[in-house]
Amino acid sequence: MKKTYKILGAMMMIVLLVTACGPAATTEVATTAPSAVATIEATQPPVETTAPTTAPTTAPTTAPTTAPTTAPTEAPPTPAPTAVGTIDCMGAQSGDQVTVMYQWTGNEESLFNNIMAPFVAACGVKLVANSTRDAAVLDTAVKSTPPDVLFWPTSSPLNLYSSQLKDLTQLGVDPSNYADYWVKMGTVNGTLLMLPAKTDIKTIIWYSPAQFEANGYTVPTSLDELNTLVEQMVANGQVPWAMGFESAAATGWTGSDFIQDLLLALKGPDYVNGIIDGSVPYNDPGVLAAYQMYAKWASDPKYTVGGANGTVNTNFGDALLQPFSDPPQAMMVKQSGFAGGNVAAEYPDLKYGTDYDFFGFPGAQGVQGGADFMFAFNDTAAVKAMLSYITGPVGAANWAATGFAIDPNKQANGKYINPQTAKLAEILANANGFTPDIGDTIPAPFGTAEWTAIINAVQGKDIQTELNTVEAAQMQALGK
Amino acid sequence: MVPKIMKQGRLAPWLYLAPALFIMLVFVIYPAFNTIVLSFMDRTGSQSAATACTAGQPCWGVLENYRYALTNPLMLNALRNNALWLVLMVPGTVAVGLLFALLADRVRYESLAKSIVFMPMAISFIGAGVIWRFVYYIQTSGGPQIGLLNAILVKLGAQPVAFLSGSRINNFALMVVGVWLWAGFCMTILSAAVKGLPGEVLEAARVDGASEWHVFWRVMFPMILPTVIVVTTTMVINVLKIFDIVFVMTGGNFGTEVIANRMFQLIVTDTGKSMAIAVLLILLTIPVLIFNIRRFRAEEAMR
Repeated sequence: MKKTYKILGAMMMIVLLVTACGPAATTEVATTAPSAVATIEATQPPVETTAPTTAPTTAPTTAPTTAPTTAPTEAPPTPAPTAVGTIDCMGAQSGDQVTVMYQWTGNEESLFNNIMAPFVAACGVKLVANSTRDAAVLDTAVKSTPPDVLFWPTSSPLNLYSSQLKDLTQLGVDPSNYADYWVKMGTVNGTLLMLPAKTDIKTIIWYSPAQFEANGYTVPTSLDELNTLVEQMVANGQVPWAMGFESAAATGWTGSDFIQDLLLALKGPDYVNGIIDGSVPYNDPGVLAAYQMYAKWASDPKYTVGGANGTVNTNFGDALLQPFSDPPQAMMVKQSGFAGGNVAAEYPDLKYGTDYDFFGFPGAQGVQGGADFMFAFNDTAAVKAMLSYITGPVGAANWAATGFAIDPNKQANGKYINPQTAKLAEILANANGFTPDIGDTIPAPFGTAEWTAIINAVQGKDIQTELNTVEAAQMQALGK
Repeated sequence: MVPKIMKQGRLAPWLYLAPALFIMLVFVIYPAFNTIVLSFMDRTGSQSAATACTAGQPCWGVLENYRYALTNPLMLNALRNNALWLVLMVPGTVAVGLLFALLADRVRYESLAKSIVFMPMAISFIGAGVIWRFVYYIQTSGGPQIGLLNAILVKLGAQPVAFLSGSRINNFALMVVGVWLWAGFCMTILSAAVKGLPGEVLEAARVDGASEWHVFWRVMFPMILPTVIVVTTTMVINVLKIFDIVFVMTGGNFGTEVIANRMFQLIVTDTGKSMAIAVLLILLTIPVLIFNIRRFRAEEAMR
């Protein structure tokens, strides 16, 4: 018996060790997995939160590091931006400083500096940058010494600091360079306090132009045309969609992007923004219609590779390659801009534009994506000079040529060098509204509730019941 | 006569204990206390949980987080799954462990056989989850099945099975992984107990004409019962805390969530509820711990 206990004791030690080490390993996975999602899901706007970036729901707090369209593809060597026009220094003196705060680091930060270089050279203004992703750091700064200019990936500063923000129209900004919905979004009590500096959009569908041509398909321009095309493909014995959305603990997010695009097509951007602010309950018939349409496509092997089992078990990274395999397993995949880079990496022989390309989601009345917004806390001459540069034609041209995502400034249109970015910019230019990702913008527990509902809908559970559950999470998250 | 230098004052034992007590205080007592306090607070941990109540909805006041832990459908599903894990995985590991302990006792390659069964214990749970994800993998796009089990099924002419996303089968598929991981642990301890059995008793039984079946159930099993109970209670605690396998393999989707997963899901976004679930988990574990300690003391006293 004594021997038993000796061994038992030793075993206990092992168990203690294992259990002691176990959680550590778990946390490691937990922290890396979501950040991977965040990097991939580059167009998701980061959730405004000070919480650590552990839970999948808060994944997008780690903001995208690189613009999705430029990062994975062979980004053209950044051309040295050349001033194509005059830069108005608005009376700023050489040596004046502008303090800037943003979340960009590394490549993104150097892209931004490249964009600003001509302005810095022309006016002699010095940019003093503070790069942080921590909303608490921003909050502390705003309460003591706010940055002159703030770039932030959510619109939350608009509500939090509206009393301290300066009217942009008084700072040399021409609002007519921006679509009305941007101006409307950034206006509080008749004062324009916020404009977007850059956006990433994901209301797109990837396809193979070569396959479309071979089968005599044309790119649909409305939801009806998309429906017709899908049925035509099924009639021809082809599988229209690659819907796979497995993503470990974040499984379902690809489906939530698809459903948001369907909502943008069926109901429009105001409706989607209504879901985000809680004025539209998530169990509304409009949402139900979008879910039914999605579930029909995502659960039937006629419409998607592998049917419901394929959708929930196929990793989104594998699914996005399915339309481009030989022979193609599907005709289309709805995925953000990063998909092009994945396709290029997996199939280096395929050419963008002929073998793989994307079109805007047919009939979408607005786009979804992420945006970095700019705000001003000071109205010095140097701030005016900087903002008038960014929001004017010269800055816009440099921004587009540098290829730092999409510049929502209308003056940037036609100035892009990367063809994918140019196309995304065109889709944005034709959009009538902008919506951030629903699941990332509404605080927890909404996001995971939404994913679960999508999984259950695909697996054939009653959609209305699922939506009622999500609606409860929506109202709880929004404090209603 | 004890030399003076070896006499202890009243303080000395405490000095010896101080480092251990300090570590216990900082790393066990304080966090446990803090967890309990936070379980009565709201999602940010800054005010009472009662503030999370909405008018017209059921509310347990300051115990609101416990209302969630005990009545929310997601929690009920997790509790049900944990119960299922307990009912199936604990006997599963103990039975498999015992079987291997008995069989290995009779073969020539005992240590090799036992090493193989024990080996999964050396793999991190995360690693095991990843490995078994491959075993259960289902290819849905028409290519060959690269998951081991589905490849075998297809070779035998059957349809591939979605082991992880099919709600009828996935919980059991996960439990198989749990048994695979822990059976070696049970086997090692039980094997030691079997080895410790006095040979003459078994021999006497066999001489008296008992069949092997009877020798096991009437002689061996009663003698190793204390060890079986220790192993069982240890496994109960392990299974109550089960997390890694579910997290890695299904992420808690498809109705596989267990208590610890629910706790993890909420830890950042809703501290109060997460801590209430943690307290619930502690409360479920404590009786088993107490039983285990009592049993252990009784054993000690017997010797």
